[in-house]
Amino acid sequence: MTAAHDSAPPSNLSFRDPGGTLIQYNGRILRAVHPRAAADLETFLQTDCARQAMDSGKLVRSVRVSPSEYPWIETECLLEHERIPFPSYPYEWPAEMLHAAGELTLELARAAVVEGFRLKDATPYNVLFRGGDPVFVDVLSFEPRAPGDSAWIAYAQFVRTFLLPLMAARYFDMPIDRALSGHRDGLEPETVYRWAGPLQRLRPPFLGLVSLPKWLKGRETAATYQPRASASPEKARFVLDGILKSCERQLRSLQPAATDSTWSGYLDHKSIYSSEQLAQKEAFAAEALDVARPQSVLDVGANEGHFSFLAAKRGAAVVAIDSDAAVAGSIWRRARREQAPVLPLVVDLTRPTPAMGWRNQECASFLDRARGSFDMVMMLAVLHHIVVTERVPLEEVFALAAEITREYLFIEFVAPDDPMFQKIVRGRDELYSHLTQAGFEAAAARSFDLVRSRRIDGMHRWLYLYRRRQNNN
Amino acid sequence: MTSKTNSLAILKALTRLLLVCAPLLLASPSKAFAYADPGTGAFIYQAAYAAFLGGAFYFRKFLDRFWGRRK
Repeated sequence: MTAAHDSAPPSNLSFRDPGGTLIQYNGRILRAVHPRAAADLETFLQTDCARQAMDSGKLVRSVRVSPSEYPWIETECLLEHERIPFPSYPYEWPAEMLHAAGELTLELARAAVVEGFRLKDATPYNVLFRGGDPVFVDVLSFEPRAPGDSAWIAYAQFVRTFLLPLMAARYFDMPIDRALSGHRDGLEPETVYRWAGPLQRLRPPFLGLVSLPKWLKGRETAATYQPRASASPEKARFVLDGILKSCERQLRSLQPAATDSTWSGYLDHKSIYSSEQLAQKEAFAAEALDVARPQSVLDVGANEGHFSFLAAKRGAAVVAIDSDAAVAGSIWRRARREQAPVLPLVVDLTRPTPAMGWRNQECASFLDRARGSFDMVMMLAVLHHIVVTERVPLEEVFALAAEITREYLFIEFVAPDDPMFQKIVRGRDELYSHLTQAGFEAAAARSFDLVRSRRIDGMHRWLYLYRRRQNNN
Repeated sequence: MTSKTNSLAILKALTRLLLVCAPLLLASPSKAFAYADPGTGAFIYQAAYAAFLGGAFYFRKFLDRFWGRRK
């Protein structure tokens, strides 16, 4: 687990749930629980479903702690949660991860029904990722269920926040972040209805998830929301399980397919590295990782995560960011397959996720979460995109890297003569005449000391391992 | 964030919690903590599907009893 630091801003301050409040203090995640919710929560945590979920890592570990340790928190029931290393938010996830979070939500919802509990809310904000594995973190979402209760009150929220964004991704090519960052509670059926064509609206999945809810809107009365208890508990369970199974079927049908984007296959198929050159780069990376021995790594512009997985094999927990959702998705698939601690996020370092939510304080910005959280930052085959496409000055790149990393920077200098550089500069060569190797090294020297470097034979690319100068805060 | 502003944020969060507590003491258990928006049309659609499932439940029971007697 990454070491916490006192200056960490509050993350996901949860004040919406009347059952309790989440507090981050001194690197610990605490939950103050409302007295009336406390007993039910305790009961839930003792159930088989909760114990198994905690043991398998699907539900965040939660233990009761003594409130006397925190005298300024006035509560009788205080829980401490296991800290998930790098919190991430649904609008940073590739579609595959949103889908996985939805699967976990339904799995736990069905298991809870068996034990006499129900899931009262179903939003992707209940889930964080440990590497590639989803973890349900909002234990207060589980509450006791009356035996005759057959409705899933979180159904509409599940549709809005999981199913409709996945549908928008599949049918309208809408990236997950566009569906989720503008709206905390997901997409409304009426909105998706407007996007759909007239015939599309009559076909599944639109018919049940979009069109019928839109047509039925307005027919609700006060009586609609009154819970109607079923006489037979067996029937109630059958109905509730049926609703959950139907959601599972819908979700399964919306499984994102592996897509081919411009960036996928960059290293494998469209690679500009010959196998010897790639081997040299890998060897240097292995040496760099052996010298630095980082516990946590940020891989910027990770593409298919080739070097992220190299770092993970050497014991690092990796956050791999790329602005392309398709490659982030392929990293996730591999992380799941290999059970590697690589967390892929769809983040563009030149335009990172801002702070969101109420007062811009509920969800911390990517940079706030990243600063000081990584022992090593990797910027391989990405510098030219930052400097040319995004027009960020080289000095700024080093300054940001120095802010984010605790110690090491592993960076690849791509010179203007490089064919890929030439491809993206498109005639603006004059602007980059200062981008010589000497210029690069001088810019680095402001905050970093050189540890080792080498040129990749036959290429206009140099690999550098830098160490941040510690007095340069 | 300094520890002072951290504590302030925490105190503010707790005040909010306490303010919410008061009316909840009067609410019935099953509705006290349910806060997710149940939707409008989606809720009715779910209720209709639930009614269909209820029918399916009785139909299945009927079939079980029917075949059960045969066995």
